[in-house]
Amino acid sequence: MLQNMEEKTYTMGIDVGSNFIKLVLVDYDSQSKIIDKHTEKIRKRNPTQVADEMIQNMLNKHKLKYENIAYLASTGEGDLVKRKRGHFYGMTTHAKGANFFFPDGRTIVDMGALYVRAIKVSPDARVEDYKMTGQCASGSGQFVENISRYLGLSIEEVGDVSLQSDTPEVSSGICAVLAETDVINMVSRGISTPNIIKGIHISIANRIIKLLSSLKAESPIILTGGMALNKGMMQAIEEQLAESGKKFDIKTHPDAIYAGAIGAALWGGYRHFKLKEKQSMAV
Amino acid sequence: MQSIDELLTYCEKVAFDLNFAHAKNWKSQNEKRVIVGYLPIYVPREVIHASSGLPVGIMGVGDRKQIIKGDAYYQSYICHLPRGVIEMALDKNLDGFDGFLFPAICDCIRNLSGMYKLAHKGKFQRYFDYPQNFDPKIGGVFYIQEMEKVMDDIFNINGVRADVNSLNNSIRLYNINRRLIEAIYDIRQEFPWRLSAVETYHILRAGIAMPVEEHNEILKQVLDYIQTDRGEPMDNIRVVVSGSFCEQPPIGLIKSIEMAGCYIVDDDFMLGSRWILGDVEENTDDPLQALTNAYLYQSQFSSAYYDVGNPKGKRLVAQANKRGADGIIFSAASFCDPALLDRPEMQKECDEAGIPHINFQYHENTGQFKVIKEQAGTFSDSIKLWA
Repeated sequence: MLQNMEEKTYTMGIDVGSNFIKLVLVDYDSQSKIIDKHTEKIRKRNPTQVADEMIQNMLNKHKLKYENIAYLASTGEGDLVKRKRGHFYGMTTHAKGANFFFPDGRTIVDMGALYVRAIKVSPDARVEDYKMTGQCASGSGQFVENISRYLGLSIEEVGDVSLQSDTPEVSSGICAVLAETDVINMVSRGISTPNIIKGIHISIANRIIKLLSSLKAESPIILTGGMALNKGMMQAIEEQLAESGKKFDIKTHPDAIYAGAIGAALWGGYRHFKLKEKQSMAV
Repeated sequence: MQSIDELLTYCEKVAFDLNFAHAKNWKSQNEKRVIVGYLPIYVPREVIHASSGLPVGIMGVGDRKQIIKGDAYYQSYICHLPRGVIEMALDKNLDGFDGFLFPAICDCIRNLSGMYKLAHKGKFQRYFDYPQNFDPKIGGVFYIQEMEKVMDDIFNINGVRADVNSLNNSIRLYNINRRLIEAIYDIRQEFPWRLSAVETYHILRAGIAMPVEEHNEILKQVLDYIQTDRGEPMDNIRVVVSGSFCEQPPIGLIKSIEMAGCYIVDDDFMLGSRWILGDVEENTDDPLQALTNAYLYQSQFSSAYYDVGNPKGKRLVAQANKRGADGIIFSAASFCDPALLDRPEMQKECDEAGIPHINFQYHENTGQFKVIKEQAGTFSDSIKLWA
């Protein structure tokens, strides 16, 4: 059981993605700490139910009740979360989460399942500008997952396999359908799996670099989202940046996948006190 | 008494029945009854009701009907609403309607009245004009004549002429209707989670496809239900949505704004039902004059109507302040000239009043709301975190 429950301000952030739901419990104060975190793959289940169970399990684990949580904030597909106090948009929460990991970060690249988004932020995590990949899914984590499945790999293996590449074969960076056709051709031409995967990573890396260029990104660049933990992806971005002559310091964090959920919990804490202040002023 | 969920399901069904079966069923019960369809925004429904008629609002087809024939009637740079309304007529959705009123709000609607005339839809098709001169001796007289023409049209069909008593009774019923709707908005202003904007929309839209007596009963029940808490309050911002007075936004758009963290505390979605502010004088020897006075002096503001000496921008700012709104969302149909032409002036007023605002456009059949959700979401965050 958590100590001094009445003196602490606990907040929760839940990030509902298209594949994974991420949940964090935060002890909110000037030195906010992550108490617990949990990720759950949705698979073919009802996301609302999965989210609800995750919240309840985490509360039970820490012998907390919903009422003990000062602010439960959702982000991502937040409308799928039944019990919550507020919702923050994904860009706002990723900016805050990245700022929590690396306060000096001025550019965030959120690499999610459905798109990649480059966000410029102020020192206090305010979104100043952003660029994101268009309608096509070829720049997304879901695409990488699909390709890895076709090649008989799990998503966890993709990064290490990519690092084994020696002569990567770059696929289409414009269209997921064309890229998938490219991959089928590569397989029939006998291209090795590491070279195919690395080629996919390079193609996504090039799209990210284009986003960074049009955003006039500033270093350091913080990678967040599920793909940020993919070592092969990281390497491809670094290599492509070097090749294009751009000097950026790239950083990621072991909890990068929780950036949205952490950001939601932190902004939730901020709102909790802001609302409290508003209330006391009204009295 | 039905549960609130049952009421909402019923309202949604009636509101979006493009065949208007409920209205046609009402008509079939008495041979003197007539159905008069009207386009957005406002018509004085009292004169139709008092003539044994049911005024039925035709708000377009939304995303519930594929437009094929309607596209042949309008150029690509014309809004979506009239295409759907033509399609409904050609598909016989509106068979059984006795007449149609096309309020003067823009050239598209004006042309639509001509198309209905050429296609011989209904027994009368009237372009219903409004005074732009607010002198009661000029504009007022003109407006009375416009209403009398509608009464004549209906008399020629069913032989029923509205008299002082029937008009006073109709005014009384629509006064109740407007009061109940405003009472719901007032409760939502304080407790917006008790009835979502989508639910409110369904209730109001059902009201233009059923007799006012029935709608008043539904409104009373809804009002009873939302006196006590329903749903959980959320840390959302409060917004006024402006510019959706004619072509109606798809339900997905209203939902997207709500899901992005915004409580819609006022809007102009079903503006015709809320057009007259306050009561129309109801025990009078001259009810047509009472309706005229209400139009001249108690009209809500809208981009589609003349606003001499009472600028819309200022009225929008006053509305936002009255509702305690944190911001305004300008949401207009694509190619809606009145809304889009007024927008810069209204935004200027908001800027001067320090009210944050965003804007976007839609079609009634828009199916993708990602960008709108993104805009509304970032708008909500910017107010919650940085205002």
